[in-house]
Amino acid sequence: MTAKRIIACLDVKNGRVVKGVNFLNLKDKGDPVELASRYEEEGADEIVFLDITATIEGRKALLEVVKNTASVLSIPLTVGGGIRTIEDVSRILGNGADKVSINTAAVENKKIITEASEQFGAQAVVVAIDVKRVNNSFIVFTRSGTYNTGIDAIQWAKEVEKLGAGEILLTSIDKDGTREGYDIELTKEVNNSVNIPVIASGGAGKMEHFYEVLKVADAALAAGVFHDGVIKIPELKRFLLEKGIEVRV
Amino acid sequence: MKATLINYGVGNLFSIKAGLERVGFNVKISFLPEGDEDVIVLPGVGAFSAVSSYLNSMKDKFNELRERGVKFLGVCLGMQVMFDEGTEGGLSKGLGWFKGKVDKIYANVKLPHIGWDKLFVNKDSCNLTEGLDGKYVYYVHSYVAYTNDYVAYSEYGIKYPAVVCNDFAVGTQFHPEKSSVTGKIFLRNFYSWVKR
Repeated sequence: MTAKRIIACLDVKNGRVVKGVNFLNLKDKGDPVELASRYEEEGADEIVFLDITATIEGRKALLEVVKNTASVLSIPLTVGGGIRTIEDVSRILGNGADKVSINTAAVENKKIITEASEQFGAQAVVVAIDVKRVNNSFIVFTRSGTYNTGIDAIQWAKEVEKLGAGEILLTSIDKDGTREGYDIELTKEVNNSVNIPVIASGGAGKMEHFYEVLKVADAALAAGVFHDGVIKIPELKRFLLEKGIEVRV
Repeated sequence: MKATLINYGVGNLFSIKAGLERVGFNVKISFLPEGDEDVIVLPGVGAFSAVSSYLNSMKDKFNELRERGVKFLGVCLGMQVMFDEGTEGGLSKGLGWFKGKVDKIYANVKLPHIGWDKLFVNKDSCNLTEGLDGKYVYYVHSYVAYTNDYVAYSEYGIKYPAVVCNDFAVGTQFHPEKSSVTGKIFLRNFYSWVKR
């Protein structure tokens, strides 16, 4: 069986890794190239860069970082955040990313999923789905979790698979940043509805959370717990192995 | 040692170039063989039908280079096109350097297959897998080669070839350039194989 993947996510702004609380008080956490390499050494199976830059200068800095990271990294690199057009996809992949993660643009312009998939292959296209519980339903939110699309998350997951997505990056907005654990019910429902890999995100706080979610997902993504050293990847992987979850060591 | 990375006009060649450079190859990206290379690398981007017809158009050149001792490395799709034929994008002829057909993974599993699986050594006369039995390598694919002749294999719903070799060509279904330390060891072993 394919090993369950542990994915480290880095927020990148103007070419630097930053970390804040609820997008405020952003603190510089270092050089993305160095951090990505360190996570590879520690045993991360993939790296995700989430670009939180809003300016054109910041965008250029991102491409430079992608290029520099791709030349030292020998595990897959995904880049997401602010991707609107097929040209954005092309530029990011052209600078060495293996996959792009598309979120808001996928909802507002479904064509981009199919076009990117046909042009670069399904494996290069991750569709990010941010979900909030509204009246006992799972609803898709876009624009960094601020916009209620009214779309049912399970239906949307099925649709993006049909449109050509190679993977789904599923984030629970309710759980994100809480360290209370992943949204198991959401992850399970999406995982049972599609036949492409599902990456769970949002809520990781302790090693047990990874164990619980990896029973119903192909990969688990986390950011804060790794940056703050709350969880060390080598320890996490040993823990998962002991619990009977296959991971790469 | 010089390696020419063949550009089919699609996809990202950055990672494979960096991976080859890390183990000592001097890599040039080019649409055609350069003529003075030691190795031709066929990267894992694109679809079988398009890539195989592009490569078949330079088959004579490849044969000429083979006779001069040039070696070949095919990664993922680059390995698949070295087989007799493939079904992706309609049945089409490959380079025919390995016996077998490339077809979808027929098993009740998620596709594309994305992730790390263990490599198991079968019989390795090329010494490419030294130190790699039981190690994880990174896969991204929906198609595999159906053949009985392989150096190493992995399992995903079915058992499929991970590494193939003959006297002038090596192919890997996994991505050594994305397989962290294990991939580096493989590429180092490949470097030694070319040198011999």
